[in-house]
Amino acid sequence: MTVVALPAAVPAPPLSRRVWNAIRLHAANPWPTLITPWLVFAGVFGLNLAIWYIVTIAAGGSQNLDADAFDYNGGVTWVLVFLLVMAVQAMSLTFRFALGLGMTRRDYYLGTVAYLVLLAAMYAAGIAVLAQVERLTDGWGLGGRFFAPWFLADLPAWQLWYLNAAVGLLMAMIGVAAAAVWVRWRATGLYVFFFLAALLLIGAAWLMGVTESWAPLGRYLSTHEPALIVTWTLPVSALCAGVGYLLLRRATPRA
Amino acid sequence: MTAIVEVSDLTKRFGSLAAVDDVSFVVREHAITGLLGRNGAGKTTLMQLITGQEFVTAGAIRLFGQPPLENAAVLSRTCFIKESQTYPDGFKGEHVLRVASWVFPHWDSELARDLVAEFRVPLDRRMKKMSRGQASAIGVVVGIASRAELTIFDEPYAGLDAVARQAFYDRLLADYAEHPRTIIMSTHLIDEVSDLLEHVLVIDEGRLIIDAAAEDLRGSATTVSGRQADVEHFARGRDVLQTDTVGAFASVTVSGLTPAERAAAAAAGLEVGPVSLQQLVIGRTRGSARQEVAS
Repeated sequence: MTVVALPAAVPAPPLSRRVWNAIRLHAANPWPTLITPWLVFAGVFGLNLAIWYIVTIAAGGSQNLDADAFDYNGGVTWVLVFLLVMAVQAMSLTFRFALGLGMTRRDYYLGTVAYLVLLAAMYAAGIAVLAQVERLTDGWGLGGRFFAPWFLADLPAWQLWYLNAAVGLLMAMIGVAAAAVWVRWRATGLYVFFFLAALLLIGAAWLMGVTESWAPLGRYLSTHEPALIVTWTLPVSALCAGVGYLLLRRATPRA
Repeated sequence: MTAIVEVSDLTKRFGSLAAVDDVSFVVREHAITGLLGRNGAGKTTLMQLITGQEFVTAGAIRLFGQPPLENAAVLSRTCFIKESQTYPDGFKGEHVLRVASWVFPHWDSELARDLVAEFRVPLDRRMKKMSRGQASAIGVVVGIASRAELTIFDEPYAGLDAVARQAFYDRLLADYAEHPRTIIMSTHLIDEVSDLLEHVLVIDEGRLIIDAAAEDLRGSATTVSGRQADVEHFARGRDVLQTDTVGAFASVTVSGLTPAERAAAAAAGLEVGPVSLQQLVIGRTRGSARQEVAS
């Protein structure tokens, strides 16, 4: 064989640019993660408004309703759950495409997690802003509480944002870990994953029972600031993100 | 010469199956190398190993002198277009090109627009709704317009008709002439690309059986035809790659004829002709099964 010369080494594009490319990859088609969720959210809110309105008319005016009639609402949890769905979808759909374009698993994963952090922050910000509008308009003129229901109604805006962002992030990171299992081992992996997750939850509940920890937990939850409580989700989110990376590191984009 | 891809003693096993079996070769800079072989021979696995998408069982790969796995420095200089590429749900052609323009440092958007027009790709259509040919055309556009220093095509033409395939070869060659780069083309439409290829690698059942310059390869075998009895007489004791018989007429492809032997064959009333790359590859990889049909 002839003497083999080595080609000139060219440095990689900077990490920031590579990660930014992975972030942009998820937003290249903005519909599934940036537009559709807001449309559905608007639809859910519209239905709630309509129901409040109908109930108010049927009662013959808001003066005939209890003061807390419209205080309880779970519409916002839809977005939080949807963050999990978005995480699973985003990753299972783009992994093979990203590797096909020559992205490394690491850059792709960093960008994906960064994108989900941004999504959680963005949706939480939207909810916090709309909650302020809700407060200023006295519940959209109907005394309704959609964006900040129940005990959230009186929280400062930043706390409301933090609460939703942290829980949304937890959801997204659980989704990322589950998606990594899917990308690596497909359906078989997911069966095992959810079985183990269920085992873990039941085991934890059992442990709480035998150590008689339920009452202290209830006391802790009722006597501490919500913002402090949700901070406990951050290490769990970080753990999920770490597990996701360990799984994805050895995944291959097979058909 | 400069080696863009160096593969040494590479093996990839899936369970007990060796999809790539102790393969070593070098792909040199600024040349078009054909990676030929039958379906299931290990071509795609080999290319996925080269681009760091699959994990090596044994042996080593170097791209631009570095191991490719998780190596952004060399993967960012590489574009791998494969027939089986899937796209995110809801992605339209325009989304694919947009992402490609971010990822490939030498991307030429004007060239991409030009190619889109030539291949008549509907950019506003979802990838899922595209015909096989349209989806393939998107891959071809990305592969050419990326101008990646190492561009790998894995049977990129599924569903493209003969006209579009010819356009692909022409455009690739034209852009390659202006912007030299290293191209690996895996294909089983060998006759179509044989004029493009400067170097040929043939892989069969995971093993590399031919690693030669296309020019040498074409001269390495000869087709001898004539009356069946004469041909059989001539072929006796020689390395026969292929035999075809039509009535009393026969033709054999034999390897390694000296000029004197050619002259002798011609003197015996036999017709001596060059062999096509395709015939050669078929002869060497035939085994028990028949030639595959191009998709």
